[in-house]
Amino acid sequence: MPKLQRRDYYDTARDMNWAFSYVSEDEVFPEELSKSFGIHGEEWWGWDEPYKLTYREYVHNQAGKDDGIYSIRSTIARSNLYDNLDAGWKSAIKAHYGAIPVPEYFASIGEARMARFGRAAAWRNMAAFGTLDECRHGQAQIYFPYCLLGKDPQFDWAHKAMHTNEWGVIAARSLFDDMFTANDAVSTAIQLTFTFETGFTNLQFLGMASDALHVGDIEFGALISSIQTDEARHSQQGEPTLKIMINNGKKAEAQKLVDQMFWRSWKLFALLTGISMDYYTPLESRTMSFKEFMQDWICRQFMDQFKDLGMNVPWYWEKHFLPELDWVHHAYHMGVWFWRPTVWWNPDAGVSAAERDWLEQKYPGWNDRFGKLWDVIGNNVRTGQIEKTYPATLPIVCNCCHIPICSPSIGQAPRITTHNGRKLNFCCEVCEWVWKSQPERYETHLSVVDRFLAGHIQPPTLEGALQYMGITPDVAGNDAQGYAWDGASRLAAE
Amino acid sequence: MALFPLQANFRGDFVVLLVPVDDGDTMSVVADKVAQHAVGLRVAEKNASKCVYHNGKELPSAITVAQSGIQPMDWIEVAYV
Repeated sequence: MPKLQRRDYYDTARDMNWAFSYVSEDEVFPEELSKSFGIHGEEWWGWDEPYKLTYREYVHNQAGKDDGIYSIRSTIARSNLYDNLDAGWKSAIKAHYGAIPVPEYFASIGEARMARFGRAAAWRNMAAFGTLDECRHGQAQIYFPYCLLGKDPQFDWAHKAMHTNEWGVIAARSLFDDMFTANDAVSTAIQLTFTFETGFTNLQFLGMASDALHVGDIEFGALISSIQTDEARHSQQGEPTLKIMINNGKKAEAQKLVDQMFWRSWKLFALLTGISMDYYTPLESRTMSFKEFMQDWICRQFMDQFKDLGMNVPWYWEKHFLPELDWVHHAYHMGVWFWRPTVWWNPDAGVSAAERDWLEQKYPGWNDRFGKLWDVIGNNVRTGQIEKTYPATLPIVCNCCHIPICSPSIGQAPRITTHNGRKLNFCCEVCEWVWKSQPERYETHLSVVDRFLAGHIQPPTLEGALQYMGITPDVAGNDAQGYAWDGASRLAAE
Repeated sequence: MALFPLQANFRGDFVVLLVPVDDGDTMSVVADKVAQHAVGLRVAEKNASKCVYHNGKELPSAITVAQSGIQPMDWIEVAYV
C-alpha cells in the first residue's frame, strides 16, 4: 500500500477541533487549568505550529538521538575524559545537573497540561510531543550524572537536589512551579515555551554545547545538543499562542505574562549561567563573557523576534535589566563562593591574576566593586586564615526570586514592604512588582530566612541550616581549585 | 533583654545579612556585631570608628536597640565614620 506524504494527511490527523454540545466549554477547559483570557471556542482553532511533525517522525528522530547520546556515553565511560576536565567546568555541570534534570520532569507536567487543556487540537498535538521530550530530558540528564557517581558523590544531587530545601533549589523550584508545574495551559505557553525556552534555554543550550566541546567535555556537549533540538521544536508553541492573544485584543495580558517570567527567569539564569560562564569555565575556553552572551543572544535575537510580533520590551528593560548585566552575577558568584558549604558543587573562585584582568576588561569597574572584596578574601587564604572565608550567618533572601539580596553599590537598601501584617523583602523594584502583581500565588510561600525565623530550622545555626538543606559533609561545596587561584600560596583544602 | 533579628549591610560589602542582636545592645555593639560578619572577611579593616544608619539617619552610639525605634527585621547599614 503506498505511503501517503505527510502533507496529504497532516491537517486531517491533527485538526480535531469540534464545538461542544453535551458539555460546556468551561467544563472541558476549566479556567484554573486552561485560562481563556476571555478568548473562547473557535478563536483558538487557527492555532498553527510553525514546525510540523508526525508521531512516526517523532519516534524515528528521538530513537536516533537517543542512540547517538547513549553510544557516546558508553564510549566516553571507557576513557579518562572526565578525570582530565578542569575542576571549574566540573562545577558548572554539577550545578546544571542539580538544577535542571528533575525540573525537566516538572516541565513534562506543564506540557501534559497543555496537551490536555490547550485550546486547539494542533496545540495539544505539539504539547504531547513536548511531554515526551521533557520526560526524555529528565531521564537522560539523570542517567548521565548517575554514571559519574563513582567518581564524585556530588553528582547524586542531579536526582536529590529538587527533593531538598537547599536555598538555590528553593529559588529554582519557586520559579519552575510558578512557570509550569502549577500554571494554566495558556500562561504556560507564553511563560515557559515563549519566554523561558525561546528566550533563554534554547539559546543557552546552544552556548553550553559549544563551551562543552571547547573544554573537551564531548559527553555533556552531545547530551545538551540533543536536548536543544527538542527545545527548539517544542518552544514554538509559544508564538502561535501569543499571536492568538494579540489578535484577540489581549496584548496587555500577554505582555504582563512575559514581563513577569522574563524577570524571574533572568534572576535564576544569572545565578546558574552567569557564574558558570564568567568564573567556572576555564579562561582559555571562554569565547565570550556572560554579558556579551546576553547582549548578542538574548537581547538581540530574542527581542528582535519579540518586537516582530508587536510586543514591547519589558517596562524594566533600561532601568533594571540592562544595568544588572554588569554586576548581579558577580555578586551572586561571591555569595555562592563564600557560602560554598551550602551548595552541592565546588565553586571555582575564578579570580587568579589573569582571570581578574579578564573580568576588569569585560566589566570595567569590576576591581573597584568586587576585586577589593576578593583582595581581603585572598589575603585570608594566603595567611592561612581559612576560617575567615566562611560565613557565620545567613544572607537575607528576596521573597520573589529567593536569591540573596545583593546591591550594585554602597548604601542601597533592600525593598521592605508589609503584606497582611507580614514583612517581605525584595531585592529590587521588579521582584516587588512581580510578587505584588499576583500575591495570591506567592503569599503562603516562605523564604529560607522566613523559615529560619519561624523556627523551622533547628538548631538555629548554620549547621542546622545545612542539615535542613540536606547538605551532607561528602557533598558540601569547597573551593574547586584548592585555592590555587591565589597564585603563590597554593593551600591544600582544609 | 531579647533576641532581635535585623537585616544589615556593612558599607562596601555586597550582600544583606541576617544579624541577630539583643534589644539591650547599644549601637556601638550592634555595629561590632554586624562588622564581625563582613570586616576582615570581605571588607578591608580600617582603624576607624563605626556608626549605624537607620532610615537614612545616623544613630547615636550610646542608645540601645530598644530605644532607637528600630523594628525587628528592619534594615540598618553600618559604616566606618
